[in-house]
Amino acid sequence: MTGTPGWLVPVAAVTVGVILVRLYIVVTAPRTAKPSGRRDAIERCSFAVFLGSGGHTSEALSLVSALDFNRYVPRTYIISEGDTLSMQKAVNLESAKAAEAPDTMPSSMRSDPRYTFVVIPRARRVHQPLLTTPFTAALSLIAAVWHITVGPLIAGPPVPEVLLLNGPGTCCVLCIATYLNRFLGLRSPKLIYIESFARVRHLSLSGKLLRPLVDRFIVQWPELVKDKRRDECHGWLV
Amino acid sequence: MSESSSSPSPTPGSTGTHVFVTVGSTRFDALVQTVLSEPVLDVLRKRGYRTLDVQCGNSDFDTSHLRRDADDHWQRAGDLETSIWRFKPSLKEDYERADLIISHAGSGTIIDVLRLRKPLIVIPNPALLDNHQAELSDALAGLGHLRSSTVADLPEAIEGLDKSTLVPFPQFDGSRFRELLDEEMGYQDHTSPGARR
Repeated sequence: MTGTPGWLVPVAAVTVGVILVRLYIVVTAPRTAKPSGRRDAIERCSFAVFLGSGGHTSEALSLVSALDFNRYVPRTYIISEGDTLSMQKAVNLESAKAAEAPDTMPSSMRSDPRYTFVVIPRARRVHQPLLTTPFTAALSLIAAVWHITVGPLIAGPPVPEVLLLNGPGTCCVLCIATYLNRFLGLRSPKLIYIESFARVRHLSLSGKLLRPLVDRFIVQWPELVKDKRRDECHGWLV
Repeated sequence: MSESSSSPSPTPGSTGTHVFVTVGSTRFDALVQTVLSEPVLDVLRKRGYRTLDVQCGNSDFDTSHLRRDADDHWQRAGDLETSIWRFKPSLKEDYERADLIISHAGSGTIIDVLRLRKPLIVIPNPALLDNHQAELSDALAGLGHLRSSTVADLPEAIEGLDKSTLVPFPQFDGSRFRELLDEEMGYQDHTSPGARR
């Protein structure tokens, strides 16, 4: 007599159960009550930022420009496919910073570049019909997982220690990829979300989705703070 | 006719008599058409302005009374010399030349203009579906950094603008973000106004 093997249902149930429990542990893990372990002043910190185009890129680069470029290195600029303008703006910032403060490590001693670009397909183009969005979002997610989860395991550069996000939809895809790392027990970047200066009384959709998932959720207008234990406002940052 | 304040005083980098209108990369037909209409031109003349540049982006407007002197470039001579064009790679020089800027409510434009300490009237575009732009202009108007207006009320907003009451917008201070991130990543040398509770 044929039929599903007797062991199939219990094994499937246990597997699903393990996955759900693991997901629960990862998603509800307390955000580090204290920041990452102590770091000496001369230690470097690898850094990534998503440049979402338009006003988001300008705000993100404004924030990045405030950092010590000898400390936060190497820097990875994640941009959407086709967004040459954001790439150009990032290059301009790097040139400006290089001109104002010479590198502490001479280029002859350096084997890796100070900054690189990672290009991922957009999760959704402006005005793209919602019907086709799941397909483009899936492609975007695969690319994000490649760069954040798989690449570092096989051959690529290590996962950056911190990832700065500030709003546009593809941020969510990067967040999902980061959680895949956490789910699998791999190293993952700290997720810092800074809501746009333009959001005064209502969060963006990405903000609403990512608020429970990121490690620091920062808004620039006080009215957006709903839960003081989770949301932070330190005034205007850009 | 009231003379509630003297003619405009020059702002840094300008002659005292130039108006710049911008819609960024957007399309804002109503603003461009209103700026080129008699009620607005009239009040600009009365307030002492002599030249007007309009960066019209993708907007549509009536060009029948204008002289087209190049692709996407129009002129009108007269006592308020007007020049209209669509795009430029950078608007920084135009901002610097202007004594009054009238703009759509894009946050990037607003920040750029206010940091140059220019008087700004912002018009949120009612045709935009998700009008969080209006929230930003209202909030900044409430703090006295700019004046917010509708297209219909623009002549009145220009007439009533008292530049001396505008509150200067703070310049960029990167230290807050820098210290927030340093503290989060474990560096000990931050002075940290952004410390976690």
